[in-house]
Amino acid sequence: MASDAASSVKAQGPSGKAKEIESALRACASGDKLALKRIYDVESARMLGVAQRLLKRRALAEEAVQDAFVLIWRHAARFDPERGSGLTWIYAILRNRSLSILRDEKRTETSEDPVAEDLASEEDDPETVMSKLSDAKALRACLETLPPQRRGIVLLAFVQGLTHGEIAGKLSMPIGTVKSWIRRSLMSLKECLG
Amino acid sequence: MSASADMILTPPERDALAGEYVLGLLEGADLVAFARRLDSDRALAASVERWRAHLHPIDAVVRPIAPPPGLWPRIEADLGMTVQTAARPALAPPSAGSRLADWWNSLFVWRGAAFAGALASLLLAVGLFAALDRAQRQPVYVAVLLTEAGIATAVVNTYPDRRVEMVPLQNIAVPPGMALEIWTLWDRAVGPRSVGLIDRARSTNLRLDQLPLGRDQLFEITIEPATGSPTGRPTGPIVAKGTTSQAL
Repeated sequence: MASDAASSVKAQGPSGKAKEIESALRACASGDKLALKRIYDVESARMLGVAQRLLKRRALAEEAVQDAFVLIWRHAARFDPERGSGLTWIYAILRNRSLSILRDEKRTETSEDPVAEDLASEEDDPETVMSKLSDAKALRACLETLPPQRRGIVLLAFVQGLTHGEIAGKLSMPIGTVKSWIRRSLMSLKECLG
Repeated sequence: MSASADMILTPPERDALAGEYVLGLLEGADLVAFARRLDSDRALAASVERWRAHLHPIDAVVRPIAPPPGLWPRIEADLGMTVQTAARPALAPPSAGSRLADWWNSLFVWRGAAFAGALASLLLAVGLFAALDRAQRQPVYVAVLLTEAGIATAVVNTYPDRRVEMVPLQNIAVPPGMALEIWTLWDRAVGPRSVGLIDRARSTNLRLDQLPLGRDQLFEITIEPATGSPTGRPTGPIVAKGTTSQAL
């Protein structure tokens, strides 16, 4: 099972960019600071875009990117190309960092100072995201097999970092229903994507 | 669903759980348990990686935002990446022959001067330390960290030399494989920063070298994995928290 998994990830083939990131990560692990700058030059604008979609506020998004690069540098030696691609590894670090900041903000925020949903732009809308996925045919086709509302919920979680409870509130649905819809959507996506 | 390390998952359950993790839907104790399990469960790690690869196109098509010019220097500063200054060129030796040059080159003269200087420094240092020691032992700010039930669990003392120590007042139960992480929060826009990680309740110095320190600054202790929070932010339950007040 696990080896099937590894080979299916590899079957997509590391693109030139992914290879470049992986060799830069190896150089970071051996202390080459210019290698970190190379990753920054190639990916920081997209990373800031992803952080902005999750955090909505520019200052927080910049903080997430800043922290992510510090973590990439410190943890570069732990990156294992056998277990996954360098590109998804750096985005996982960015996403984890962004989500932590998002949860902290929400935990301490006051009512006059809302983060979040109201500030979401059209850019973050699930259907806008779908329309941009033209090059990712497999993902797009599999997402299209889900009923639109369920697809929207999965995308809201990934793109805007909404929790089960926030999705339930936004769609006026019981949280249990949201949880089981997401679970079932993930199972059918998994079946479709392999 | 929770993800305790000993629970057996069927492949569909495992994939659904990994998918929820990658979507960012696991929180609190579930997230901590999942992160621990991920370290040892190769099949789960492979499933997480597959989800990341599958969903990455959603991140790849984002509208890029050019980072401001100041962002990279901030990263460099965080990493202590200062540009190495070139080694100073060796001093040209003074021209030989003159009496001044003889004196200048005399090892005996310099040894004597160095010895006298060192002795004077030593005497000054002893006096200074005695005076400073009295001043340094008095804390500037004190925070009493309370549990949710209001039980005083630890004290944080900050000293004039910026030394910060945490002294526990109670034993704190730490689950196996977990540790106590100490955080400080001085500005919500910056968020909490880790200042210490200890395996059990004991007195410890906190690392606030580059961080601000002042009145009404929050300190809190959370339960985290033994190697520290996987996210760099508090993820586990809060054991106790409190804010600093100025000592009289």
